Amino acid sequence: MNSTVDSNNLREEVRAWLTQNVPQDWRQAMTGTDQDAFVKAQRDWFNKLVAAGYATPHWPEGWPGGGRSLADQKIIYEETARADAPRLILFFVALYHSACTLMEWGTQEQKEKYLPGILKGEIWCQGFSEPNAGSDLASVKTRAELKGDRYVINGQKTWSTMAQYADKCLLLTRTGKSEPPQGGLTYLLLDMKAKGVSVRPISQITGDDEFAEIFFDDVEVLVEDRVGKDGEGWAVAQSTLSSERGLTLVELTQRMRYSLAKVAEVMRERGRASDPAIRKELGALIAKVNASCALADQYLLKRISGTEAAGDASIVKLNYARTLREFTKLGMSISGLQGQYFEDFTRGGSQETGNWTVDFMNSYNWSIAGGSDEIQRNIIAERMLLMPREPKNWQLS
Amino acid sequence: MSASNTYQRSDAESQLIELRDSARQVLSGLGLAVNEEKVWPIVTDLGWLLVGVPETLGGLEQGVTGSCAFHAELGRSLAAAPYAAATIAIDAICHSTLANQQSLIERFATGEIVTASLAESAVAIASNKVTGTMTAVPSADKASHVLVCVENSELVALLSLNQPGVEITARQTWDTTRRLFDVRFADVALDETLTLASGADAKTLSSRISTLRDFALAADAVGGAEALLEMTVEYLKTRKQFGRPLALFQALKHRCADLKMLISSAEALLNDSLSRVGNQLDGAQAVAMGKAAKYLACSVYARVAEESLQLHGGIGMTSEYPCHLYLKRALLNEHLGSGNYELDIADHFLS
Ligand SMILES: Cc1cc2nc3c(=O)[nH]c(=O)nc-3n(C[C@H](O)[C@H](O)[C@H](O)COP(=O)(O)OP(=O)(O)OC[C@H]3O[C@@H](n4cnc5c(N)ncnc54)[C@H](O)[C@@H]3O)c2cc1C
Repeated sequence: MNSTVDSNNLREEVRAWLTQNVPQDWRQAMTGTDQDAFVKAQRDWFNKLVAAGYATPHWPEGWPGGGRSLADQKIIYEETARADAPRLILFFVALYHSACTLMEWGTQEQKEKYLPGILKGEIWCQGFSEPNAGSDLASVKTRAELKGDRYVINGQKTWSTMAQYADKCLLLTRTGKSEPPQGGLTYLLLDMKAKGVSVRPISQITGDDEFAEIFFDDVEVLVEDRVGKDGEGWAVAQSTLSSERGLTLVELTQRMRYSLAKVAEVMRERGRASDPAIRKELGALIAKVNASCALADQYLLKRISGTEAAGDASIVKLNYARTLREFTKLGMSISGLQGQYFEDFTRGGSQETGNWTVDFMNSYNWSIAGGSDEIQRNIIAERMLLMPREPKNWQLS
Repeated sequence: MSASNTYQRSDAESQLIELRDSARQVLSGLGLAVNEEKVWPIVTDLGWLLVGVPETLGGLEQGVTGSCAFHAELGRSLAAAPYAAATIAIDAICHSTLANQQSLIERFATGEIVTASLAESAVAIASNKVTGTMTAVPSADKASHVLVCVENSELVALLSLNQPGVEITARQTWDTTRRLFDVRFADVALDETLTLASGADAKTLSSRISTLRDFALAADAVGGAEALLEMTVEYLKTRKQFGRPLALFQALKHRCADLKMLISSAEALLNDSLSRVGNQLDGAQAVAMGKAAKYLACSVYARVAEESLQLHGGIGMTSEYPCHLYLKRALLNEHLGSGNYELDIADHFLS
């Protein structure tokens, strides 16, 4: 009873704050700008959220904004989605991947060294994938050699989101030879300004440089900046990857639900509002979007109650990626030829900017990054349905 | 990451889980697609028709969520009981202003069958006489009464099926796990003592009835799809070709994983909608939720059934093997209910 009253209060409080503080014209301001203006706007929004305590509700008690129950965190995310506030894309890795990894694995010294910086707006990137280590992350080759009190790093990372703006990097390296290959990995915290680090932005299909390659040429990282033990990198990386699941998907599915109005909008704009074929597709989509919301909600509830089972997270992610694809594709198809003309798009609006072709292209983020759809299917089949794993050894015949 | 998270199951939730588990045990003891003669006495003896009935009327007060758990269990086992129709009619009695509610519920929960249409009806009333046709009425040959919603919702009533002017025609469906009938009325007199609602109340009750039916069909579909996928995965694990279990082939694993994801989403939508509507089943919002849950669950069930048949290969095409039973029930489910689901959902959203 009391907790219901409290959460109603929180909901109202957050809603009121958002009404006051979401920059009213952020969508216009972020449309057709360059990436630097986007970075500045993200910083401003980040600072506001941190000051209000809404950027870090998932941090533990004792940290600014932290110590909130999952139920309260959910309220904050739902309200953020409802208010159509910008997403903190630039700070996502810092707030989730880095913070959660440090909370779980970091030493007290590491927490004190790095977490305050995150609150001050340091940007982090994730340096896991390599040209030859994508889905098969365990085959990472970037070498870290232990020399006295430091590691010396050589190699290359790729697809690292926003690495060109990053101050710090979560780096997965190889320190040893072992079978299975997971055993030889070590997890380091890297200063992106360190000598020997160079970054080359990669142009994405939208024309933006959202991710980048990172090259390491004898880069030094102190042993004190290693997370977990030497050879424990795989386990640490797993918690990094699972850190944002649940809440993020609650927020994203809610955003998708609120954005169904944009489908209605484009139907009107294109004179298709009473086209029964389109209405029928919309009806089916509404059911699916609501199901995605329900699935994310229930996943969060499982986490709260400690009843999460192997594969649950994969179901939610695979489902979201599929529904998002259908959602953006319907908008794009209603847009017709008009949608194929280039039009400036909005940055920071997740996958529902209303520029349907861009949204459609960006929907591939969710089916490729963070474990592709195919990898999620493997997990569901093997860990939930308990179907046998692929045989290890193969030969071309 | 936060420590302050606790979650406690309520007594009602625990009770429902127990009820559901025992239902599953009983039904799996009976085997797949058990016929009506066998399963109906069990349904009534074990009080399953009272699950959703309020305590004040002698029920278990588990609401729509409760009866849906049973629809899902019966769907799993492909049982041929007119359970959905009977629970819908009993629920309508519970939500009427009839004086003899209690005694009617007792009669219908203990063996005497009351039924209802699982699809569209076209029934009109003129000077207290009912004329028209109801389709997809389960077990009408054995039922004593049928729930009738009169066109434009002027009236909701029970009609005795054993009276002049009532014509009952068996409609053989491909789905052999259901026995459906057309019921034709030609100037059948209304029994005032069995009128459940009229005027505005009838509109409200009618909308409750169709929402309840949508949820029942959705639950049947979720239960059936789940059981069928389990069966299919089991089959792929045991059947060997090319010197290995078929379940090792990724092309097949991925299809099963997709089906699992789809079933989970339909189930999540159903459960979420049920918890949102609570007991408020009339009104545009609830109607739209029922429609979305029914649409998604039944289309997912059909997809699972189509894929499962393919994944079984030749044996899936034999009448001995139950693949086809699920497929036929799934195909029928898609066409039960009323209206054009996707369009209705969109209309509600756009209005
Ligand atoms: C927008 C975006 C942002 C990203 N941001 C980051 C980041 O910040 N940091 C970072 O480290 N990485 C990042 N990544 C990289 C991402 O994690 C990888 O792209 C992903 O793991 C897939 O690896 P890959 O690109 O090498 O594809 P591959 O692994 O080469 O896969 C190619 C295709 O084969 C399929 N496939 C692979 N293995 C299997 C299998 N076992 N069974 C069936 N199919 C299989 C895949 O699903 C895919 O369809 C990002 C990627 C994208 C698209």
